[in-house]
Amino acid sequence: MNSKPCDSNSSTVREALAFSAKNAPPENGIRLYDRRGQNSELRNWSQIQQAAHDRAARLASAGINRGDRLLICLPTSWELLEIQLGAILRGALPVLVAPAAALGGAASHARKVASLLELLSPKRLVCDLATRNELLEFDCAEAAGYSLLTEELFELPVAPNALYSAQPDDLAFLQLTSGSTGRQRAVMITHHNLTQHLQALVHLSSAAPCTPESNIVSWLPLNHDMGLVSGLMMTMYHGIKLTLFRPDAFLARPKIWLQALSAFKASHSAAPNFAYQLCTERVDPAELAGLDLSNWQIPLTGAEIVRPDTCRAFSEKFAPFGFQTNCFLPSYGMAEATLAVTSDQKRQGIRTAPVPRGSSGNEANEVVCNGVPIRDTEVRISSSAAPGTWLGGDEIGEVCVRGPAIFKGYYNDRAATADALREGWLHTGDLGFMSGGELYLTGRIKDLLIIRGNNFMPHELEWIADDATGGGSSERSGAFSVTRGTDGEQAVLVVEVSADKTKGLDQDIRTRVGRVLGLPLADLVFVKRGHIPKTTSGKVQRRELKQRYLEGKLERIAAAQETE
Amino acid sequence: MTPKQELVLELIARVAKKDKSFIQPAQDLIADLGFDSPKQLELLTEMEDRLQIEIGEDDAARINTVGDVLDYVEKKT
Repeated sequence: MNSKPCDSNSSTVREALAFSAKNAPPENGIRLYDRRGQNSELRNWSQIQQAAHDRAARLASAGINRGDRLLICLPTSWELLEIQLGAILRGALPVLVAPAAALGGAASHARKVASLLELLSPKRLVCDLATRNELLEFDCAEAAGYSLLTEELFELPVAPNALYSAQPDDLAFLQLTSGSTGRQRAVMITHHNLTQHLQALVHLSSAAPCTPESNIVSWLPLNHDMGLVSGLMMTMYHGIKLTLFRPDAFLARPKIWLQALSAFKASHSAAPNFAYQLCTERVDPAELAGLDLSNWQIPLTGAEIVRPDTCRAFSEKFAPFGFQTNCFLPSYGMAEATLAVTSDQKRQGIRTAPVPRGSSGNEANEVVCNGVPIRDTEVRISSSAAPGTWLGGDEIGEVCVRGPAIFKGYYNDRAATADALREGWLHTGDLGFMSGGELYLTGRIKDLLIIRGNNFMPHELEWIADDATGGGSSERSGAFSVTRGTDGEQAVLVVEVSADKTKGLDQDIRTRVGRVLGLPLADLVFVKRGHIPKTTSGKVQRRELKQRYLEGKLERIAAAQETE
Repeated sequence: MTPKQELVLELIARVAKKDKSFIQPAQDLIADLGFDSPKQLELLTEMEDRLQIEIGEDDAARINTVGDVLDYVEKKT
């Protein structure tokens, strides 16, 4: 098809939704699948706009006003889509929080939701009965008191004049970036950030720009920036088609993603590396008769480290079904930049370069090219040794980004904002270099674990370990991630203990981490007191710790068994 | 152990990529058997398909150990 790239230029979400409701073909909208990914219902942009208006009016009756934070904890559903858009139209700030993990997540999920009350002081928490019950059962009665069930909301009267005429510089929503308990951060995104970004995303691949005929398949969670921006917001803004699944439907049966791509001749679909890996491992080609992936112009891979071996295996397995290897589109981004920062424009598939000298802590021997900065966005490399000094090509330093989509700061967290935003530049905490104008990532300065596209702060693991050992606030543990073959990043925890006190501790810590964070530990290492490297002020040096771990220089006591 | 519980043990072993004899009721699915979110969903789906049951999300969110799964299956079927 030769149609022109999408050229919507609305400056707020309300304007964009009105534009799509009026101008998009009536068959364009969201096709939403049920919990099992089997049956679907299509609603067009006009219907979605009407529902969002209705929800805005009922939110007004619930006392939700301009600027109020509205916590929303719902699975991917019409209710979630309508209430979220309705909240934005009302001028409130929706904050999406993921529902409990599939197994065993109830207690830690309740605490997570409760901890968000402190950070965000939301007016209400919109959720389902399961979440309200979970809050009551796990001693979060105060949080339960904020809860407003969707059916309760929908019974409230429709208030008149509920829509707010947002200005481009008004905040549109808050995006949670990491954390299960404590240390959560909420990224502030304005209408200007979002709308400018959605225009730039049209050209994420200049060879295959987004057009009015494009259609997107997504199973990514809407509480994640990639699902929210590249799925829902992108299609809403340009009035194109979205086929939407719940994340658990994909995880349960990965083949439904590929089948939907084929059935709807989808052009765009994004996913983290682990999803491509899951398809290579769990999808049986015998069940894919008739599958046609040849329309998939933009198989975007991002939100976690792109692994060349995963891309190769996926290409090999699905090339017989029309998958075009050269289309694989690595893209680098983060919630603080609304979504994307760079994307590969060459359409030669995954390209790699050898790891340059001096990139410590890197376990791979090749690094993936993440392409050039997206439209209107600048990327520079800052010296990590001499902050404030920009580096030239092929020199490794901190990746810094400037452009219209850079966020306004972290909500209610001045210190973190001042650290991330300096003189108009977002300091990403990622390490990399530019070569030929293209970005290569080599590691991370910031202490962060990115596992299956989800961010975890090392403190989250360390506090659990310190709790278990009775270490209190004395920093007796260090957490970091290592790359384990096709599994991608995995969590490792190193804990200082007295040799005579390890009994049962291995099991205790692993269980606590599993219950609270939903993470299996790839390794749990016990070392003697004083064997975790610390700064003079007593802070754990996690990068040094990881280096010693990788080099096998940590002296284990009561060696904890590795899981496979 | 009932035949349905035996079947569930087999499913857990298969998803965990372990021998069935290794699986014990006291084991924590995430901490001891490495059930990350894809594996959790794989197990739930297999259980629903093979046992012809529907597992509620709020029930699943309270399952932590192999024993919890066995108890749940016993009650549910």
